[in-house]
Amino acid sequence: MTELRKLNRAMFWRILRRLLGANRGRLFVMLLALGAGAAVTAALLNLQVDAKRRLTTEFRMFGPNVLIMPRQGDASAISEATLDESVLKEVTPFRNEAGIVRANAYLYLIADVTSITSREHQRVVVAGTHALGADNLEEAARIDLQTPDKQACIVGGKVAVQMHLQVGDRLTMINAGVQESCRIALIRLSGGAEDSEILPHLDVAQRLADLMGRISLVQISVPGTSQQIDRYIGDLQKRIPHAEVRPIRQFTEGEAKIYSRISGLLTATVGIVLLLTALCVMAAMTNVAIERKMDVGLMKAIGGATRRVVRLFLAEAALLGLAGGLIGAALGILLSIGLGKAVFGVAARPRLIVYPVAVGLTVLVAILSAFPLRRLASIRPASVFRGEA
Amino acid sequence: MFFRLVADSFGRRPRHKLLTGAALALGMGVATAALSVALDVGDRLAKEFRSLGANLLVTPKADSLPLEIGGVDYRPVNAGAYLPEADLPKLKTIFWHNNIVGFAPILEVPVQAWSPASQTVLTPKVSNETTLIGTWARHNVAIPDGGTFVTGAERTNPWWQVDGQWFGEGALECIVGQNFARKNHLHAGDTVNVSQRGTTAAATALKVTGILSTGGVEDDAIVGPLSIAQTLAGKKGEYRKLYVSALTKPEDAFARKDPKTMTPVEFDRWYCTPYISAIALQISEELPGTDVRVIRRVAEGEGQILTHVQMLLWLVTLAAMLAAALAVGASSAASVIERQVEIGLMKALGAGSGTVGFLLAAEQLLLAFVGGGVGYALGIILARVLGEKIFGAAPEPTLLVFFVVIGLAALVTLLGSAIPLRRASRIEPAPILRGE
Repeated sequence: MTELRKLNRAMFWRILRRLLGANRGRLFVMLLALGAGAAVTAALLNLQVDAKRRLTTEFRMFGPNVLIMPRQGDASAISEATLDESVLKEVTPFRNEAGIVRANAYLYLIADVTSITSREHQRVVVAGTHALGADNLEEAARIDLQTPDKQACIVGGKVAVQMHLQVGDRLTMINAGVQESCRIALIRLSGGAEDSEILPHLDVAQRLADLMGRISLVQISVPGTSQQIDRYIGDLQKRIPHAEVRPIRQFTEGEAKIYSRISGLLTATVGIVLLLTALCVMAAMTNVAIERKMDVGLMKAIGGATRRVVRLFLAEAALLGLAGGLIGAALGILLSIGLGKAVFGVAARPRLIVYPVAVGLTVLVAILSAFPLRRLASIRPASVFRGEA
Repeated sequence: MFFRLVADSFGRRPRHKLLTGAALALGMGVATAALSVALDVGDRLAKEFRSLGANLLVTPKADSLPLEIGGVDYRPVNAGAYLPEADLPKLKTIFWHNNIVGFAPILEVPVQAWSPASQTVLTPKVSNETTLIGTWARHNVAIPDGGTFVTGAERTNPWWQVDGQWFGEGALECIVGQNFARKNHLHAGDTVNVSQRGTTAAATALKVTGILSTGGVEDDAIVGPLSIAQTLAGKKGEYRKLYVSALTKPEDAFARKDPKTMTPVEFDRWYCTPYISAIALQISEELPGTDVRVIRRVAEGEGQILTHVQMLLWLVTLAAMLAAALAVGASSAASVIERQVEIGLMKALGAGSGTVGFLLAAEQLLLAFVGGGVGYALGIILARVLGEKIFGAAPEPTLLVFFVVIGLAALVTLLGSAIPLRRASRIEPAPILRGE
């Protein structure tokens, strides 16, 4: 009995080999359809997973989205309340699950500012900061923060126009008898409040205000989805109960809305493209399968049981799906890496989970598309050979 | 004879043709849906990005530097310049007036505010220094060329949440920031008395219609109608800041060129493209004496993200079209491969390779047009459903997509059958007919 079964199995595989090898053209066509489907599936799945994560990082183009401010218990004006510089340490580790958290401390005061070059004099808001208010690395590199040049400052565009300032000019700032000076490293027009401020180094502003080790507020740029940001805010608030941590709602809410739209768009497009790709592949495969009446007729004529014949064709389809899936999905992941680079400038990280999923889906589609063969079970061999059906 | 052969081929193998047609229709349906969505997505997303608020700020050119810390202006009262409110309708006459989705003028008045609610027999009234932000909530602006445009802070600052109702335009009403309300135990329906700081003028009583929460400096302020703020400050018909929210095209390398260095042709092209810098220039032309600044933080992030998302969608579209093309090509290739016997017979009866190829190509093309047409209709429906689900608005079907899809269908079926056809043309009829 086992002997027979062994023999049967050997025969099964032999027929399968012959079925696959019989028509090179057909084999190629089937592999092409399945492989294309698998490639698109893998590429889209990988890109979709990656793009959503990347989007939350992209949103940080908008700058800070969370503030740490002194609690306003007794101090009547916001400007009079300050925080200890040590809160900055609580923002560390400068990472959350979605990426790098950037923080920037500011100390505000109003000082009498005189330009040594243009001899102009005005009262201006001075906002001392660590990173000199540079929102991005590009700018930071330009003012060269690596060198301990604490004399550099950024001047808002409106201040520069009113006081006729140019890059390289020296400014003196006087507040309550303390005098400090700085050299203009950059003039920036951003459309925000900074346009009418002067941003020197934090130490300079602290000496000027005679508030050593104090800051007015911390601006934090937290990447992530709105849930991740909320969680970060909650954690931070617990660690610094004496200060107030609050989201800049203009950005957190706007971003959340846009994120849900874009990710909905991506999911829907990818989902529908995948579904219809599967249908396309199935239609193409079914077309090929129906042409095999002759094979089925012959097998039945020489005594093949319907079940065995169907099983044979299903095995063939599964094998083809596996081969097409393995090749196609690998190509698709390579494709998505390239696409990620084209869109976001950073190669999409290949997700290992995507590969088996894409291969599995392809095998499934291949088997499903072989199912119309079941109808061939009702074929009468004789009529096939007479060329009737 | 030719048509009879084609008709016969369709009539003889209806199921086969139906399946090839179905593959085609499905593939082209994906292509149509993806194309329609990708073509439409830029405009839709640009609208979504307006939930980030204004992207342009208009201030008087002659203004002194604001000494603003934490939303409190430390300038002496009456310092600085103002702009006339009467000019504002002109905003809707610029070249890109349809792209201006909203604007709101702002006049901030430092005030002394107290609420009768905080005063009891035992405790004296608690007086607070705060700011009254005068603006429009929902204002009807009469446009010079007829019609009205409804705009205000509701449009430019969509993240402002009002618990209760916005104040009525010109009414003695206001909404108070949540922090201010908490400190003074104010609720909707209470009244709050305000008077300009540093003057002895009689206080104005404003009815609180709602509690405002913004997550910004407005949480500590009172927001009221612009006209009330103007009366309090003695600046009839004037404002100090104007926020404009405009739909823009993401800036590209061309947009970043300095308009002053452009040739007249380039300048025209730049001026007639809704770049934010072009809209800013048009606004400053309409409102003399103003300084129009782009709020970089909002505008630049928006531009980059829009560009990336659009590119991503185009790639998805391309992938969808590629997959559809391959599947359709494979299907038409299969249909030619299976017909070797027929081809052999035709050749045996004296048909040249050209005639056979022409016949098969005509069949495939006919299938492509029918399948492509059905696919287009399918895709349009799909794009509608998608658009409605995601953006609440369906993309308009365009003729361009139709031609692209039909062209693609024809190209793909022809290419798909070209390779097997070439092989078929080399077929020797005799062995095929013998069944070898």
